[in-house]
Amino acid sequence: MGTGGPERAWVRGAQGGDASSLEALFRHHWPAAYRAAYLVVHDAGAAEDIAQEAFLAAVRNLDRFDARRPFGPWLHRIVVNRAIDWARMRALRPESGGDALAGVAAAEHADAREGLLAAIRSLPPDHRAVIVLRYLLEYTPGEIARLLDLPRGTVNSRLRRALDALGGKLEDDR
Amino acid sequence: MNDRDLGRALREVELPRPDRERALAVVRAAFADRERVSWPRRHMRSLALTAAAAAIVAGALSPPGQAVLGSLRDAVGREGVKRASPALVALPTSGRLLVQSPKGPWIVQADGSRRLLGSYRDSAWSPHGLFVAVARKNGLLAVEPGGRVRWALARRDVRFPRWAGSVTDTRIAYLAGNRLRVVAGDGTHDRELCGGLQAAPVPPAWKPGRGWQLAYVTKRGRVEVVDTETCAVTWRSAQFPAPRLIDWSADGTRLALVTADRLVVYAGARRLVRTIRGVVAASFAPAGDELAVVQAGRLLLFDAYSLRHPPRRIFAAAGHFDSVAWSPDGRWLLLSWPAADQWLFLRATGKKLLAYSRVTEQFGGRAYPQLRGWCC
Repeated sequence: MGTGGPERAWVRGAQGGDASSLEALFRHHWPAAYRAAYLVVHDAGAAEDIAQEAFLAAVRNLDRFDARRPFGPWLHRIVVNRAIDWARMRALRPESGGDALAGVAAAEHADAREGLLAAIRSLPPDHRAVIVLRYLLEYTPGEIARLLDLPRGTVNSRLRRALDALGGKLEDDR
Repeated sequence: MNDRDLGRALREVELPRPDRERALAVVRAAFADRERVSWPRRHMRSLALTAAAAAIVAGALSPPGQAVLGSLRDAVGREGVKRASPALVALPTSGRLLVQSPKGPWIVQADGSRRLLGSYRDSAWSPHGLFVAVARKNGLLAVEPGGRVRWALARRDVRFPRWAGSVTDTRIAYLAGNRLRVVAGDGTHDRELCGGLQAAPVPPAWKPGRGWQLAYVTKRGRVEVVDTETCAVTWRSAQFPAPRLIDWSADGTRLALVTADRLVVYAGARRLVRTIRGVVAASFAPAGDELAVVQAGRLLLFDAYSLRHPPRRIFAAAGHFDSVAWSPDGRWLLLSWPAADQWLFLRATGKKLLAYSRVTEQFGGRAYPQLRGWCC
């Protein structure tokens, strides 16, 4: 992800109060942030909110950010951890008529999302997160371990199991 | 599928299009606010010393509890709080606000970001804030906070949905025309309540606790509490001119009724315990024993179980407030001030005030929005 000169200049500009630098940072990182959040939560509204909250957190902590370091991993850590929290909360807190609502949701997804998206959605949130970090955002297992505060072995085993499950699911759909 | 194919597929799979410009506008507003506070930050040390000295002087000259109000008085005019922030960039505590504007309901997150749910004319939180019941002229819908519709019912002239219940069982009461109806939280078992009870255009209120008792205002201006399972009327008030608002205490032992000219509080929904004239809004704390009361330009806190005792004055100004809402943790109050186009967040202790201006503009710009709740 973009860690080169322009990004460093944008971070420094934003730290100095330049709104156009902040906007450049936003436009550069928004697509991946939203996509990563969506692939973990599978809810467009929640993904939008999570990506937006991550940028707001960045704004709040801009003064403390070391401009020599890449901005992407810092943002992605917030996005993916919040997305995991959101997906877990949704799983744990069904509201009234939860079964019926889940049925409606499942039917909607079956209609609208086939193939890869449906396969990813069938994974637990933790597994979706490592898949997104590894294959969408292209972090190494060691980097993912640092982003998620996990042992590297746990990341590797989650990746393996997630890939196995994805492979099986995509095979079933053929 | 190999690793490279999977990566490409994740980057290229088509997703719902987000409203990037809306998010950018929110981030820009937060950034602008950060810049506005940067000067005081640079001068924090000298400001803190000055403030400490002022507090010592105020403490020496003022009776306890009046110091903060006294210091605020100079900063508040008829047009509102003078140094109000022009953009709501964060709520002072956890939770989310539901705000009804002419464009529809908005959800405001704790970080100040907000989302318009759609073109609906009324709204209410579900008990745990996972859904919002919204009303269209000819329909009742349950939507997620992200805006996705979970179910919809076609009914004529829907107003005042109010959602209550536990994690496993919830109900929504609402008006269709002038008739009360109740539907389960999953959109099933919709029915006219007790063969078609007629109600005045006032939001009904579910009684907290076990059972499914609903307080509503009859066409004749009485409050009735009806058991929605058996249709037994468990209590009926005297008749009042123009009842406007009903609220239950968290434990269901107190009921407050705001009419055109007064607040009436009942104990156990039977015995009248206090009447206060000139009240425009009232709200019981989400837990505990306090009742917030708006009386023209004053916000007062009563002990709901000792209403004869003098209230604490939390805030006063030369204006007219119109509603009040508690934060979910019971530590903050949100006071709306339409004439000043401001929202005031006040600590329930009365010792802190955060003011935000240009409220109308921040919620679509056509008319001052109404608070619908501050949820979990």
